[in-house]
Amino acid sequence: MGSDDWLALKRDEFKRWMEDERRRTGLSRAVAAYTSAKANALSRLPELEEMRREVRKIKERSIRQMDELVKIAMESVREVKGEAYLARDAEEAREIVSELTGSGKLVVKSKSLTGDEVGINEALEERGNRVYETDLGEFIIQLRKEKPTHIINPSIHVPREEVAKTFSELLGRPVGPEITSLVGIARDYLREKFCNADVGITGANVVSAKTGTIFIVENEGNARFVSNAPPKHICLTGIEKIVPNLSDAFKLLQVLPPYATGVFMSAYVSMITGPSKTADIEKTIVYGAHGPKELHLVLLDNGRRRMADDDAFREALYCIRCGGCMYECPVYRVIGGSFGNNYFGGIGLIWSAFTTGEEKVAAAVDACTKCGRCKEVCPLEIDTPRMVERLKQRLVKKGFVQPKHGEIMASINEKGNPFGEDERADRPKG
Amino acid sequence: MGLISMPDSILYWKGCMSRLRTKSIADSTMELFRRMGVEFATLGEEEGCCGSVLLRTGQPEAAKKAAESVIGKISSSGFKEVVTACPGCFRTMSSEYPLIAGQIPFKVRHISQFLIERSSLLKDRFRRMDVKACYHDPCHLGRHMGVYEEPRELIRMVPGVELVEMKDNRSKALCCGSGGGVRSAYPELSREVAKSVIGGELPGGVKLLVTACPFCNYNFKDACSGQIRVMDLPELLISAWRG
Repeated sequence: MGSDDWLALKRDEFKRWMEDERRRTGLSRAVAAYTSAKANALSRLPELEEMRREVRKIKERSIRQMDELVKIAMESVREVKGEAYLARDAEEAREIVSELTGSGKLVVKSKSLTGDEVGINEALEERGNRVYETDLGEFIIQLRKEKPTHIINPSIHVPREEVAKTFSELLGRPVGPEITSLVGIARDYLREKFCNADVGITGANVVSAKTGTIFIVENEGNARFVSNAPPKHICLTGIEKIVPNLSDAFKLLQVLPPYATGVFMSAYVSMITGPSKTADIEKTIVYGAHGPKELHLVLLDNGRRRMADDDAFREALYCIRCGGCMYECPVYRVIGGSFGNNYFGGIGLIWSAFTTGEEKVAAAVDACTKCGRCKEVCPLEIDTPRMVERLKQRLVKKGFVQPKHGEIMASINEKGNPFGEDERADRPKG
Repeated sequence: MGLISMPDSILYWKGCMSRLRTKSIADSTMELFRRMGVEFATLGEEEGCCGSVLLRTGQPEAAKKAAESVIGKISSSGFKEVVTACPGCFRTMSSEYPLIAGQIPFKVRHISQFLIERSSLLKDRFRRMDVKACYHDPCHLGRHMGVYEEPRELIRMVPGVELVEMKDNRSKALCCGSGGGVRSAYPELSREVAKSVIGGELPGGVKLLVTACPFCNYNFKDACSGQIRVMDLPELLISAWRG
């Protein structure tokens, strides 16, 4: 690296976060609410201790046979009259989804990290489609043209007064900062979009290979609309989300909500196995009854197989994306969404490195103290600090060295301490 | 003191921070040994780097070299027991040397483990210190090495010290923000993390923060000296020593 651009940008971003009282307030309120809700849920669900260990084993098994599960899942989806695709990278995923969507269409979306990862909104808008995020947090972020801050709660850094400003602009009339009425505005505004949309795009939390079942976990009910109201449902998700069968999926589903939001179970879990159908007239099957006529499952690789083949980073694929480690990270609590790239926190550094490029997190990696708290609170006990250390080693080999770290290394080499001090200046060696 | 062969004594490994920055931690540790009648030696200016910083900043090959050099120095001097007040050195030597440089022919312990084993020498040696205090678990000592109770027991040996816990403690303790090379890469971030730990974690009325790591000590002092008194474990024990 000839220049320090990779560093300068991130330094500024960190600084903006640290100095932004508004965002810090939003974040610390969210952390407090999350930690107390989770503590309460976990204390009332002692059975989770065993369950999370089982889920770890399920994920270990699933990732070991990931290629095989991809095949099985695709066949199963086709068997129930859905379509299935395997996208090797972000570009392929964008092409497949764009092709399926067409142009000039109204698209509604529920929150999808995988969608963000491949830049699906931008691709669809380029083709002249109108895309609406329907998760409230994502909707706010989309209107504000900001980046999400957290994988579960993308707009935790935006306090209610700011949301009111954003909605006032949207409606062209002043809107008060009462949270209930802000939620009502989003509900009214998006309802019509759900009903008139041509295409609904969702992610998935888990996929059962044997049955071809897509699971979507949510609280708002927007993903139900998105996956149900439009005539075409496209589900874009990573190949690491596939588990062998329904029982495995149900176990994972029990661990996710308490760790994600501190609830026993999320309000809605949609299980989708093929497109909507009816055989009520003369036992003749017709697809597209009240739900979508078409179901398309787009499975994304984009670095995941590379991760699975790599002993040093395979464990990152076990992540069930509860996002708990972010709230629990002392560094994330200070610099929030700037700690990572398209994924956040320690595990997000690894995910960002494999899905969008190591250089994108070269500077953020040095904000991780490798303190190990994320591993301690992870339901699957993923050893993120160890992986971050390994990622750092790779980055150093590629020349991404903090100037200060370079000085320290040279000093240790020459003087035996990191401070550049001459301890044995006037003594012979040995 | 230099490289004197004293196989019967322990080797006190200062670590770079206490050797050159938080010197009072090294001075207090050595004074503690003297008052307890513990025979010890140091490697003085020959000590060098344990390699921890190199491991954290992506230099495993350099860390391996540092480890081999340290193992060579200590074993050729004949020491069988190493005691350090730096959790970074402690973790690196005892749990990472065997992985990167092979088995080590000596035992490494943190000062708190060593002192607890000799707690009879510390009994009734401390004067009363009426203060409400909190102990901060260093990541290298706690989560990474599983040492949680020894430092707390030592603090409780000082009469009058009311030891209360942070909201998150032991395996859930919050990092001070200076580990892993963050303090050198983004010093402002390290300070902000330390401030947020002090701001959000301490029960009311706590006037003293006891650390057991020179890096935590340095970072908390730098970021929060206006808000709270910060002392490292050996410093506390020496300041409470009677006489």
